[in-house]
Amino acid sequence: METLDKNTVDDAQELASLMDERARTYGMLARLFRVEVDLDTLRELQAMRFPTATGNAAADEGYHQLYDYLRTAWEDSVTELAIDYVRTFIGHGVNGYSAAYPYESVYTSERRLLMQEARAEMLATLRENELKRGEWNEAEDHIALQLEFMQRMSLRCAEALRAGDDDAAANAVRTMDDFLQKHLLNWVPMLVTDMRLYAKTLFYQGLAQLLTGFLQQDEQVLTELNDSLAA
Amino acid sequence: MSPQPRGTEAPTLSLLAFDDEFDPLAVDDTEIDQEWMDDDNPYDTIDYPTMRNMPETNGHAPVYTPERQGSAKEALRAMVRQNPGRRPVLLGIVGLCEGGCPSSKVSEAVEAWQKDNRSVYAPMTLCRMLERAGALTLEMPETTEEQHDDQEGVTYLEIKERVDPIWHATPEALELRAEYEGGAEFRRLVLGEDARYVDVYEAVMERVRQAPCGEPDIDALTSGFEITQKPRRFGQHFIDVLEMSDCLVWNGSAWALTDLGAALLDELKASKGEN
Repeated sequence: METLDKNTVDDAQELASLMDERARTYGMLARLFRVEVDLDTLRELQAMRFPTATGNAAADEGYHQLYDYLRTAWEDSVTELAIDYVRTFIGHGVNGYSAAYPYESVYTSERRLLMQEARAEMLATLRENELKRGEWNEAEDHIALQLEFMQRMSLRCAEALRAGDDDAAANAVRTMDDFLQKHLLNWVPMLVTDMRLYAKTLFYQGLAQLLTGFLQQDEQVLTELNDSLAA
Repeated sequence: MSPQPRGTEAPTLSLLAFDDEFDPLAVDDTEIDQEWMDDDNPYDTIDYPTMRNMPETNGHAPVYTPERQGSAKEALRAMVRQNPGRRPVLLGIVGLCEGGCPSSKVSEAVEAWQKDNRSVYAPMTLCRMLERAGALTLEMPETTEEQHDDQEGVTYLEIKERVDPIWHATPEALELRAEYEGGAEFRRLVLGEDARYVDVYEAVMERVRQAPCGEPDIDALTSGFEITQKPRRFGQHFIDVLEMSDCLVWNGSAWALTDLGAALLDELKASKGEN
């Protein structure tokens, strides 16, 4: 993803396209963390193109690992990925150290428990932005829901830009920047470290790397946009 | 509450009486004592095995393998006998893979075969079971080189062609399938172990040949035979045996006669001088 600031963007449409692209990546990541990969998703992933030089080493490695897994993946890989999903995110054991638990509360509470302060904050953030978890059965601080929140805000930003509503677009950028700093970047590095420890397939190893790299890039994008808005 | 000396126990009621000084709501559990957690918490990490430390060899060994049953043929035979509902599909896969069959085609065929039964087995799960039993082997195609695509100065990696591995049936599996196709189970069960009920079997097969029907119709038919009264044999017994012999199949709404069943029925009639 290229880094842009508002001064270099001639057209709001271009910025809106950037937001759409971010939303797509956040959407894909949210889907891959939400549930196991099914055959339709596998086929969809195999039809994707994977950039080789994004400007971020972790993202490049992540894309390459995903590509390497997917080009030899076939129907049976769905079972292999389902097993690895459970091994990586659910695990076996009751000690709180048996998997890369995909909840912010686990990584930000002293006793590694679910439904702690992070979940309450996430709930409040969703309410502030007139969102709710809908059919989602997991706690609000699940990584998939946090990534989907970023996807929704990116889409809102793109929509506001296309409608010429600069204030709404600026608000969306500030919300995303704030959320990225206070939530995602606060715990995802720890989650990714654990994912790399537990995941056995190149797919989930690559997903961990891609998440790291993409968030690093997005931090840069949002910081620059936020700075240009403040100036 | 202090312990009472023997022989002077207080009445039971007083033992169970609430301690006036105890107030469960007064317990402050917001204070976390980490030292207590480490020492006494049964869920503590120290002595419990974790996934991280689990040895690779901790899995269960497969049930049907040439090593365990003695040969691939015996492993497959044990598997199909223990999975009667899956047998037509398992042997169907073996037949399909004679000479090699791409996994996508196997999946397509298995999905069609299983449309009338509520199977929880995915096609590739069945293939993997057969592989472990020595009935199938998997041939992975050569992986293609990395495909690069340059567009607008950006290089992308693309997957131009998907992998579709080939399953091959082993000679032992094909041999066993040929036995089943020749009616070996029918001869073993209907004409062997259950030979005293051969007339009942013949009547059931004739009935479903005329029109597929459900268990109540078959039960009504078999109950008319004196031999099924003592010991009591219900219609379901005959359905089970004929299904295990590949003579009957559930078509989604009724039991129907298979091609093998029709051929064996004719053979049975001919041997008895009927027709």
